[in-house]
Amino acid sequence: MLEMLSYEFMQRAFLAGIIIAILASISGTFVVLKRYSMISETLAHSALVGVAVGLVAGFNPLWMAVIVAIACAWLIEYLRSEFSLYSDAVLAILLSGSLAISVIIVSLGGAFNNSLFVYLFGSILSVTQEDVIAIIAFGSLALGLLLMFSKELYFIAYDEEVAKTSGIKVKLLNFLLVSVVAVIIALSIRVVGSLLIGALMVIPTVSALQFRVGFIKTMLISLVIAVFSVILGMTLSFYFSLPSGATIVLCVLFIFISSLIVNRR
Amino acid sequence: MKFTVPIFNIKNLNFNVKNQSVLSNISLDIFAHEYIAIIGPNGGGKTTLIRMLLGLEKPTSGDIKIFGKKFKDFKDWHKIGYVPQRASHVDSSFPATVLDIVKMGRTSKKSFFSTFSDIDKELVYDAMIKMDVLNLKDKMIGTLSGGQRQRVMIARALASKPEILILDEPNTGVDMVSQKSFYALLRKLNKEEGITIVFITHDIGVIADDIARLFTINQKAIICNNPKQTLSCQEMSELYGIDAHLLHNHKHEH
Repeated sequence: MLEMLSYEFMQRAFLAGIIIAILASISGTFVVLKRYSMISETLAHSALVGVAVGLVAGFNPLWMAVIVAIACAWLIEYLRSEFSLYSDAVLAILLSGSLAISVIIVSLGGAFNNSLFVYLFGSILSVTQEDVIAIIAFGSLALGLLLMFSKELYFIAYDEEVAKTSGIKVKLLNFLLVSVVAVIIALSIRVVGSLLIGALMVIPTVSALQFRVGFIKTMLISLVIAVFSVILGMTLSFYFSLPSGATIVLCVLFIFISSLIVNRR
Repeated sequence: MKFTVPIFNIKNLNFNVKNQSVLSNISLDIFAHEYIAIIGPNGGGKTTLIRMLLGLEKPTSGDIKIFGKKFKDFKDWHKIGYVPQRASHVDSSFPATVLDIVKMGRTSKKSFFSTFSDIDKELVYDAMIKMDVLNLKDKMIGTLSGGQRQRVMIARALASKPEILILDEPNTGVDMVSQKSFYALLRKLNKEEGITIVFITHDIGVIADDIARLFTINQKAIICNNPKQTLSCQEMSELYGIDAHLLHNHKHEH
C-alpha cells in the first residue's frame, strides 16, 4: 500500500478517486430516491460529446464535458417539465443521441484513438494535477450546494407535490440537482470513465437501501461503500494492471451483491 | 354573517382540459375554523379543485385568493397543511423513519445550513404526540400499517403549524377502526386547535355531525350549509348525473 502511494500519479488518483466517491455517492442518494438513476448514464454519455469536441477542436476536454453535461441536464429537465414525455424515454433518447453525436464528431475529426478510450473507461494514469485541482474546487462547490439544500432535496425526492405545496422551489431545485450531478459526472469521467460513472453513483445507494435505515444513515453507508470501492478498486488496479474504472465498478457490484445476501428477508 | 378575510376566496373558477370543462363557474369561500367536507362522484373535479387551491394546477379562468393574496404574492405556505390521496401508500423501501417524515413539515421554514432549533424540535414532537405516533418515531415508514402512515402524514402537515389542513381522501386503504379514530382526531384538531379542515371524502354519513358545510362537486359546486339535512333527490341527481328518483324507487321495490 505504502509502495503504491510513493508514486505521485497514484497519490493524485487516490485523492481524485476518493473525492469523486464522496460526490457520486451523496448526489447518487438523491438521484436514486427520485427514481432518476438513468440520468447519470445519460449525462455521462452527453459529457462524451464535450470530450469529443474538446479532443477534435483542441479545447480542454474536461471543461467541454462540464459545459455539455450541464446543457444536457437542463434540456432533460426542460423536456420533462414542459412536454408530456416519460422521463425514462427522454433519458434513453438523449443517451443514444449523445453517443451518436460524440462518435460522429470524433470520427470526422480523426481523433478516435486512445484519448477517447481514456474517457470511456477511465484511467488513473491520466489524472493530472490540473484535474485534481478542478475536482477539488468544483467538487467542493457541488458538495456544498447539495448539503445546503439536502433537506429540500430529500423532501422533493419523497413527494414532489407536497414539497411544492410547502413552498419549496421544486423546479429550481430540480434544475440545481441535475446541474450538480452533471458537473460531478463530467469531473469523474477521467478517473472512472463515462461508461462506468453511473454505476458508482447508483450502486452504493441501492446497496445502502438494503439496510433499511433512515436517510442520513443511508447516505453515510452509501458514502462508505463508494469510498471503500474506490480505494479497493484502485489498489487492485495498480497491483494487477487492471483498468481502474472497471475494477472500481466490480468492487461496488460485489458489495451490492453482499448487501443483498446479508439483508435478505 | 362572516366579516373576516376568507382563507380561500374563489371566484368564477373554470378549468378545462382539451376544451372539455372539468370545473365550471365555481365560486366559494372557506373561512377560518370551518370544517368542510367535499363530496362528489369520481372524476367530478374534487381533486382538481383542491389542486388549484394549492397552486398545483392553473385555472383556465377565474380568481383564487389565499389569505387575501394572489398566488404570486402568497409566501406563507406553512399555513397550509396538505395530505394527498396517496398518503398512506408509501414506497416501502424509501429510507425514512417516522421522525424523518414529520421533520419534513419544518423544511420550508428552514434557512440554508440551519439545523433544527429547539422550537422546530418541539413542534415536531408536539405533532407526533397529537397524532399518537411518538412511540413509532424510529420506525421505518414502510413498515407501518395504512392507519399509522396516515397519522404520520397528518403529523408532518401539523408540524408546520398550519391554519388549514386539506385532506384528499386520506382514508384510502385504511381499516375501519383506524378511520373512526382518524375522524375523532380531525374533530379534535378543528374544535380544540381551531384548525380549518377541508376534507374530500365518501364517508359523509360518519362525519355529518362534525362538519359545518358540505361542498358537492360535479363540474359545478353545490354548497350545503346544513349538512345534517339529507340532499334532496333532485340535488343527488344533479350531483351524480343519475336519476336519484329511479334509484330511490328501485330500492323500495326490494
